Amino acid sequence: MSYAYLFKYIIIGDTGVGKSCLLLQFTDKRFQPVHDLTIGVEFGARMITIDSKQIKLQIWDTAGQEAFRSITRSYYRGAAGALLVYDITRRETFNHLTTWLEDARQHSNSNMVIMLIGNKSDLETRREVKKEEGEAFAREHGLVFMETSAKTAANVEEAFINTAKEIYEKIQEGVFDINNEANGIKIGPQHSPTNPSLPGTGGSGGSQGSGCC
Amino acid sequence: MFNRFRSAVIGAVSGLETNGSAIEGTQYNKTTLAPKFPYGRPHFLGLGDDEVQMSADHKLRPVIHPSKPLPYETGYAECVNAGKSRWNEDQAVYRQGVLSKTIQNETGTVNKFSIPYTYYGIFDGHAGVGAALCAANQLHHIIHEKLVDAQDDIWIDFNKKNSAKTKPRDLLIIGALESAFTEMDQLLLEDRNKYQAAGGCTALVALFILGKLYIANAGDSRAIICKDDKFIPMSMDFTPENEKDRIRRLAQDQPILLGKDFTSKEYLAQPKSSDLGKTVMFRDAYMKGWAYKTLQPDDLKISVITGQGKRSRVMGTIGVTRGFGDHDLTDIYRKTPIKPFLSSHPEVQVHKIESTDDKEVLIMGTDGLWDVTDGYKAAEIVSKSVNAFEDKKYVGAATCLVGYARGSLTNSWHLKSGKPASCDDISVFVIPMLPYKLEYQELVKKCVPNENNDTSTNNIDGHTNNVH
Repeated sequence: MSYAYLFKYIIIGDTGVGKSCLLLQFTDKRFQPVHDLTIGVEFGARMITIDSKQIKLQIWDTAGQEAFRSITRSYYRGAAGALLVYDITRRETFNHLTTWLEDARQHSNSNMVIMLIGNKSDLETRREVKKEEGEAFAREHGLVFMETSAKTAANVEEAFINTAKEIYEKIQEGVFDINNEANGIKIGPQHSPTNPSLPGTGGSGGSQGSGCC
Repeated sequence: MFNRFRSAVIGAVSGLETNGSAIEGTQYNKTTLAPKFPYGRPHFLGLGDDEVQMSADHKLRPVIHPSKPLPYETGYAECVNAGKSRWNEDQAVYRQGVLSKTIQNETGTVNKFSIPYTYYGIFDGHAGVGAALCAANQLHHIIHEKLVDAQDDIWIDFNKKNSAKTKPRDLLIIGALESAFTEMDQLLLEDRNKYQAAGGCTALVALFILGKLYIANAGDSRAIICKDDKFIPMSMDFTPENEKDRIRRLAQDQPILLGKDFTSKEYLAQPKSSDLGKTVMFRDAYMKGWAYKTLQPDDLKISVITGQGKRSRVMGTIGVTRGFGDHDLTDIYRKTPIKPFLSSHPEVQVHKIESTDDKEVLIMGTDGLWDVTDGYKAAEIVSKSVNAFEDKKYVGAATCLVGYARGSLTNSWHLKSGKPASCDDISVFVIPMLPYKLEYQELVKKCVPNENNDTSTNNIDGHTNNVH
């Protein structure tokens, strides 16, 4: 299926905060209760609609472990959006946000839209970080904020889609140079004559993989 | 295969240009034939079309690994080149197979035996993705057929019956691998006018069977066995420099293969027309030492092998001398066929795994890894990763190896040390070897009760051949 724009996302945050679960819930609409350690990077794609335009999201889900940091840093390059995730039941994952944010600012392009996500909102009884604290952090650093639950799917769609809306608005405002792929945005094949498709499949790179459309 | 072609060298210097080498572009546009196999990544990665597109992102060069574990925790990781070709021209495959044998002994009891084997292959394509895809889809079927052809004699060999009529087990398995490689190349020859131009590929295959590891190599991918910080090489690189003697002797014996531009002679320095009439040092293909001659116009031809190390070339064109395909490959200027100088014949090394422990791992990597990593560094990275990760040790190790060789991008891809990183496609298997030893011991154990009844029929372990 063709698209008007392609946005690249990166998901970052401490290990075990639910980055891979957010991606899985968004692309496959399911929840994986057992923590499966991410090695290096996992990835997925999905089509969404904004302003009646088809937008393809390519999402890079990075390992939170320090051991892979040097590999995962390369995925900041050319990301238009980042989901910075912490776990509302583990204070230390919130405390590390500043480090993550510094890393992101240093290695990404300055226009990257960052969405701060407090995940595991279903675990209200074990909450260690108040929603207001997340909101305050986001306000202070110019981020968009949301609490989500990858388990119940609460706000998961919204988190990914609202990030895309922000990027889309920035494009409309002319903030992003959409002809520079380093910004993590690509114009779709119907707008651009040079998009290569897979040799031999005859396909246009349509969504048949983990995408749900 | 980075820098394998002169044209690729020109396009690849920046390492960041997209859309591939001139050779690849020409071949895809030249023909309307369909490819034999559609492009994709190894089946065990389970990527959909979207993900295949994402995996070929030259700006990110994602390090990809299987999301579901491979048998025996085997690790694999890969990443695409920095822009020398649109797609990742490496391919990888693993297969588990079984040879079965039913035996009826004198008392009429029927025993059925299953010999399991595991096969790993990596194929580094050049001038297109076709040959590597064919090898990844077909070579294991051919090897299986060859092993089935040999299974009765492998069995007789176990029993040490009629041994005069057969050959030791090692030679039968080596022969199966060798003849399968020849047949694979033959298949590409037969397909050359039926399908889209396939280019060529190297082949490195590991076969675990009956307590031994057989490594068959044709090309410049490399296998090593690591234990802690030590390693044993399990293959040699077939580059023009390493195969100089074979190729120059072939050229000297059959000068017609050289066309008009090339010579089998080697000179101390490439003669120039201004040197005509001067005395220069030379040697022919069979000479060990150097002699002198007066330079004639005929001596101004280019040596069939030029350059050194990774930069060595056959007829100024190709930087690897064994593998599959390249049936239409010619030198760039005079279109002299190069295939007669290339070979699909593998070198096979055999390694007994009876003393293997849980620290021994087999690493198989395309030259994208080995261009910037030696055996010591690879062993160090693997042993560090295996100790660091509790879970997914070998996938983690493979990811770290590929991540190391890919490096990070500032203005260009570089290693942590600041030296240039690999801009080629990189594919790596990290295979723990202990499970194959245990699997074999299990197989032997299964045969022990039977062995008490009929030693001659079911003894499969008493045999020790060492071809190594």
